[in-house]
Amino acid sequence: MDSHAAASGRLAALFERPSWVAPALLVAVGYYLAARLGFALTLKPYPISTLWPPNALLAGALLLAPASAWWWLLAAALPAHLLAELQSGVPTAMVLGWYVSNCSEALIAAALVRAFVPEPLRLDTLRNGGIFLAGAALAAPLVSSFLDAALVRMIGWGETGYWDLVDKRVFSNILAQLTIAPLVLAWAALIARRPAASLARLVEAGALFLGLLGVCLLVFDAPLGAAHPSPAVYYAPLPFLLWAAVRLGPAGTTSALALMTVATIWGAVHGLGPFAAHTPQQTARDMQFFLIAVAVPLLLLAVALEERARAERDSREQRRQLTHLSRVAMLAELSGGIAHELNQPLTAILSNAQAAQHFLANKTAEPELLAEILQDIILADQRAGDVIARLRALFKRGEERFETLDANALVREVLALTHGDLTTRGVELVLRLAPRLPDVRGDRVQLQQLLLNLVVNAAEAMSVIPQQDRLLTVQTLATAGRVHINVVDRGPGFKVAAEKLFEAFYTTKPQGLGLGLSISRSIIKAHGGRLWASNRRGGGAAFLITLPSTRSN
Amino acid sequence: MSSARESVTVLDDDVLVLRALDRLLQSAGYAVETYSSAGEFLRRCAFDAPGCIVMDLSLPLMSGLDLQHALAMVSDARPLVFISGHGTVPSSVEAMKAGAVDFLTKPVDGEKLLAAVRAALAKDHAAREQRSEQASVTARLCTLTPREREVLAGVVAGKLNKQIAAELGTAEKTIKVHRARMMRKMEVGSLAELVRAWTVTQPPLAA
Repeated sequence: MDSHAAASGRLAALFERPSWVAPALLVAVGYYLAARLGFALTLKPYPISTLWPPNALLAGALLLAPASAWWWLLAAALPAHLLAELQSGVPTAMVLGWYVSNCSEALIAAALVRAFVPEPLRLDTLRNGGIFLAGAALAAPLVSSFLDAALVRMIGWGETGYWDLVDKRVFSNILAQLTIAPLVLAWAALIARRPAASLARLVEAGALFLGLLGVCLLVFDAPLGAAHPSPAVYYAPLPFLLWAAVRLGPAGTTSALALMTVATIWGAVHGLGPFAAHTPQQTARDMQFFLIAVAVPLLLLAVALEERARAERDSREQRRQLTHLSRVAMLAELSGGIAHELNQPLTAILSNAQAAQHFLANKTAEPELLAEILQDIILADQRAGDVIARLRALFKRGEERFETLDANALVREVLALTHGDLTTRGVELVLRLAPRLPDVRGDRVQLQQLLLNLVVNAAEAMSVIPQQDRLLTVQTLATAGRVHINVVDRGPGFKVAAEKLFEAFYTTKPQGLGLGLSISRSIIKAHGGRLWASNRRGGGAAFLITLPSTRSN
Repeated sequence: MSSARESVTVLDDDVLVLRALDRLLQSAGYAVETYSSAGEFLRRCAFDAPGCIVMDLSLPLMSGLDLQHALAMVSDARPLVFISGHGTVPSSVEAMKAGAVDFLTKPVDGEKLLAAVRAALAKDHAAREQRSEQASVTARLCTLTPREREVLAGVVAGKLNKQIAAELGTAEKTIKVHRARMMRKMEVGSLAELVRAWTVTQPPLAA
């Protein structure tokens, strides 16, 4: 199961619980707070909020939930709606009418999007992003605004004309859908994925939001001087928004957008900032156009980057699984050698113990001799333990973890593991390790497996030549900014183009999966290095690894 | 246990295993020589000394099987006991075909190893007895005159003196004289003893 499906599964599970209490309560509380926010962001003489978040929040919740849960969520919004709206002195019929039109917008948005994306929506592909923009951010506000205006006119509340109402509703709702629904979707996806947040990332996010808040306060929430502000100030938050899109993913981007949107409107509501200079209608319209114009490209940018990030996460996960799979396959190949590695210390332990028994039975057991025997038994036991510890480290299936590594130590660990196999195959090892090698950064288990794969391949390749010629050379050396590890055999070499070797499922072994070298190459690629093969003059194949070195020596 | 301090040679590239086998065999009363590689063994050992050899199948550079062939080439007839950490069927078959006494898998049980060593030493002992008897019979054969050898050939072929005399174109009385001298030189008292001594010098059919 890949991480994407797992996350979707967790998302769905949130809503498929037999108890609806948690999600329904969440929607109700969210709806109420969103309505309060909507009221707070209303330009006072102007009857319509610049940004009306409850509908978009409801739409976001529906987009996350299975269709069977939609009615429950809409029902949960009713008490919140009544609680928020009845305080405002609006006739009950109108309050209920707005409940219907709010729900209709959320339902239309969810239904339109669900028609094209049949599972809970995730803003992680451009296709999903486009569907969201067209369905939830454009079509739904448009259609529901006609309905809303019709309801208002039918109930006969206020004096505003039908088309005027439609006009005012549409942009308020579009802005809300662009600001609030992606926020809900992105945070739900983030929570479902539960990424490990590093301290550095948290500090970066903190700095970003503080900076953005500062800029927004200066630009949108400062008292307007006598001079008309330069249009350039509108761009002041842009660096922070782009920063969020590039570094913090959809959750960071939508949060930054929401922060700027709220700060902008809050300033205008309090007569601050560049938008406050006009009539309320003009101010609302200006802000809506400005914020929509910023939100659409930024959302698409965040989605496009998320699409790439997800592809990278997926391929990392795939690599991890394949690596594990081929490690298990390699265990079978190595089992003979490993048995030998374990049998040696076991033989030493058994023979020592039986010798001690004989000496005791013969009454010829000198204390010094017994002490030597026990010491050897301990040594042999430690050796068996080392074999098992190395095996366990190799076959542990863990997350990719990069650390600073010594290439020489890596080579030694792998050769310790293959010692039995090489002996069995009658292969003599020539080790040429550079004495002072800069460190490399990488995943220890993956690099070990890569080397193991190359060493086992080399040993196998030499099974067809006479034993006295079976020579395996493993070499490490450093050049400027790079560390090289070469694995060279004296076998028959390869008959096909070198690149063919690295293709998945290409194999020359009767029982081979043909994945070893293709996985090896993907491992090296993930480490920013290179792996290639060449035939040696005079027979044999050379596999050459290059890894970028860290500065430290 | 053996009181004669029979000699056992052990080859294993793993020092811990080598020491352990050394102690095990010493605890059973054997005189033990240890080598950690085939090369060291070939440089230092006394070829065809009495005793037997216990060796690991997968020695570095020169495997146990290679060493077995090398020993056969220099006519070192010491019986071999192979031990292996990964007894593959083909190599064990090859080892046994080439005359190994036993093929044991590591971790090898001490009693099994000692039993194999006893069997190997018994085989070595028997082979050496046979070889020394062969040598003594051959030495006696060498003292015979050509005519006495011809008579011997006729006698062990079951021919009567008269028949031998006819074949050699001489008198039966002369054959009797040759025969008596031949029997004396061969240090045998009866026809049966003569046939047995003669058989010892003949190469086995299988070879």
